Amino acid sequence: MTNFSRRDFLNLARDGFIYLSGALALGGLMRFLGYDSNPAPKTEFEIGAADDFPLGSRTLLTEIPAMLIHSPDGFVALSLICTHLGCTLEEDSRGFSCPCHNSAFDAEGGVTRGPAAKPLRRLRVEVNQRRGVVVHTE
Amino acid sequence: MRRLLFLSSFLLLIFFLFIWWVDFRQPAPVALIPSLSGEVEYCLTCHADLPEISASHPVQIFGCVSCHGGERLALNADLAHSSMRGGSNPSDLSVVAESCGGGNCHSGSEADDRHHIQRVTSSIQSTYAGAIANIRFTFGAQVDLTPVFGMTSISDNETKTGIKSLAAFHPADEENPFIQKFGAECLTCHVNAAPREGEAYARQTGCAACHSVGEHQMTTAIPYTQCNACHNRGNYDLRSMTFVERTDRPTSRLADYYQPIAQFTRCEYTLDCVDCHTRDEVMGDGDIHANQKSIQYVQCKTCHGTLDELPRTKTLTDPNDIVFRMSFLNPVMDLKLGDTVIVTEQGEPLWNTRQLPDGTFEMVGKATKQYFTFKPVMGTACEQKPDEQESRYCHECHAVEK
Amino acid sequence: MRPSFFHHLHPPTIPAAQARWRHTLGAGGTAVFLMLILGVTGILEMFYYLPNPEDAALSVQRITYHVPFGWLIRNLHYWSAQMLILVSALHLLRVIFTAAYTSPRRFNYLLGMGLFLLAILLDFTGYILRWDKSICYPLLTGTNLLKTIPLIGDALFVIATGGGEVCSNALIRFYTWHIFGLTIVAVILMAWHAFRVRRDGGIAVPPPDSRADTARISRNELVRREALAMLIVSIFLILLSIFFPAPIAPAMSASANASVTESAYARAPWFFLWIQQMLKWGDPFTFGILIPLAAFVFVALIPYLFPHIQKNEIGAWFPKSNRMAQIAIIICLACVLVLTFINR
Repeated sequence: MTNFSRRDFLNLARDGFIYLSGALALGGLMRFLGYDSNPAPKTEFEIGAADDFPLGSRTLLTEIPAMLIHSPDGFVALSLICTHLGCTLEEDSRGFSCPCHNSAFDAEGGVTRGPAAKPLRRLRVEVNQRRGVVVHTE
Repeated sequence: MRRLLFLSSFLLLIFFLFIWWVDFRQPAPVALIPSLSGEVEYCLTCHADLPEISASHPVQIFGCVSCHGGERLALNADLAHSSMRGGSNPSDLSVVAESCGGGNCHSGSEADDRHHIQRVTSSIQSTYAGAIANIRFTFGAQVDLTPVFGMTSISDNETKTGIKSLAAFHPADEENPFIQKFGAECLTCHVNAAPREGEAYARQTGCAACHSVGEHQMTTAIPYTQCNACHNRGNYDLRSMTFVERTDRPTSRLADYYQPIAQFTRCEYTLDCVDCHTRDEVMGDGDIHANQKSIQYVQCKTCHGTLDELPRTKTLTDPNDIVFRMSFLNPVMDLKLGDTVIVTEQGEPLWNTRQLPDGTFEMVGKATKQYFTFKPVMGTACEQKPDEQESRYCHECHAVEK
Repeated sequence: MRPSFFHHLHPPTIPAAQARWRHTLGAGGTAVFLMLILGVTGILEMFYYLPNPEDAALSVQRITYHVPFGWLIRNLHYWSAQMLILVSALHLLRVIFTAAYTSPRRFNYLLGMGLFLLAILLDFTGYILRWDKSICYPLLTGTNLLKTIPLIGDALFVIATGGGEVCSNALIRFYTWHIFGLTIVAVILMAWHAFRVRRDGGIAVPPPDSRADTARISRNELVRREALAMLIVSIFLILLSIFFPAPIAPAMSASANASVTESAYARAPWFFLWIQQMLKWGDPFTFGILIPLAAFVFVALIPYLFPHIQKNEIGAWFPKSNRMAQIAIIICLACVLVLTFINR
């Protein structure tokens, strides 16, 4: 601290002000660029009356996308979004496969071939008196 | 120089901090995505405490902008309100077609009985066609009572009255000073005019003139006080072309309702205007009329019948009958399939009435919700003559002494 | 210490007399700084601006009211633009009042006139991008003026607007002119103008033998002064941006409402008020194109019309040997100001 003069202090302070201003500006820039104006995506899909999906049926719901399975245990919807990086799966003879990086899943959603690591999400299905079958993605 | 650099760097920092503070202070915007439009609106940021306008126009479905217009994204009051239709009243007739209209709303087809905007804009309460024609004829500006002018120009190609169009009335272009005075003094009561000064005359314009009963409130249960803003406020003097306000200070429903000079039955002042006067009468039937007599037709006999005839009725067999639609908005009477309601001479159903098993009728006041029963005239000791069916004849026995 | 990149951009020393604030007013440098701010804030706005007729005005409202600090970026952009016009005009006046346009700087003066014109066109095209109710009539009348030019008018109109109904169709073309077409030319001219300043010998001064004051300042001191100028201009812009929001009107696509139609907004943008006033007098080609063009050409020709300056007066304020040029530009300025202020 021996050669630290008043001028050096003022210079340091001045530089500090500029750097702080820069930090505030950068923070502001990040907030500015971080704004998302897009509306939240739909999380509920009313797909029809329960009678339209009889026991044993497997129905492809392209909007969600999901596969609605009516088994003796009830309704379940398998999400057809690949758990690797999000492409929409295609049905094949052994279940589902992904056109992007070649992941494959069996008919119940389990992984049969990577690079996907997690099985397909099971979406909640509600059978409502008034609204019919409702698939929830959240 | 160095001092200046130091100072300005410091000031820059201060102002950057100030900017962050200004941004932090701004109130959080409140978004609403009405299901009808799917487009986000931010009106609720400032107007969250406004009451829902009616049970049939919930804000979650309609939002604010579909009726009022305005800039839906703006958070600055001046900009947000700048493109609103009709100021605070989007039902003003100059903007009503865009606010209340649209095929899915209140300007649908005549076949569906949904052409409300067209009927109101051509109705006698809006055009004043008869009053204008009468005054002009009286003071020699036209040779007969055929209407030429209305408050705004309007045309009706499918006219059933023979009146195809009206031009806009400009009192200043008239030569006769009495007609000019009529224009200056007497035009404050048509539906789209700003009312006279005074609390007694206070009302909105357009659809809200009748349907808006309080701040941001709409209803079909229209009380007589709405009608009173124009009707029964006094009398006009044709010779001096002035309006003479009534001088009494009403203190009761009976006294408030009608002017001291009139005679009325208890029925007439206990019920509200809308309990007798039908939609076609008040809102118009879609055609241009020039005389009150040609559109106003409900009489005592509409509900009570005559000595020789029972009131007309209709039994409801179709679940899509318009009666259910009308009753749904103000279900004072729990109408069901199989019920019988009174129907007017023009076929308009009185959906707040119902025939009881013994042939008498029950009725509920649309605004008061009061319950009444009444019997038809046939089979009673009434001394009426078949061709004397105007209310003044009924008043001779049934009027209440005030 | 070896000079940094920014220090190296400057000459090692410059004459002290001409480096003083009160000599050049720092107007040229401020103009460059404002252009920089315009570029940065403009690019930031491009992240949110939607250049199609249905969404444009709404996206401007989104930036103004919903994007964090969007109001600041927009206001900075707006005020920098208006300040640029004023500062450029100030720079032009200073150059004439100090007779700094004389040979060898005459070509650079023309480059500067070109930049001034570009700044005005950029201001106008940027203003149109709001696409709200207030821009329709200025857009319509301004582009219809092009059509009055004989022979090439209709072609010019299509080049400028893309043709058709301008209040429906011209947005994307004006967007492209504003973002790229005019900007690229402005950047090239700016670089050339700055280069010519160096090549023509820097700020105008009398030749060394006629110079009264021979002191010089170092490039470090020059950079320090420029940094100070930038800080002060920034603070001023920030103050303007916080307390005076940029104008905004309801979207062009908003419903027609008696009190808010386009006719409520029939006023030209402030820098064209003088032309709007003249257009009230008669033939649009004469008053809207010929006279403004003649005025511009006259000012551009000042270095050629009034080339004489005594050597020892170069760079001095209001030199006697160049009086005619000073009078000429003052008359032009007075005319524009009077026309602007009598326009109601």
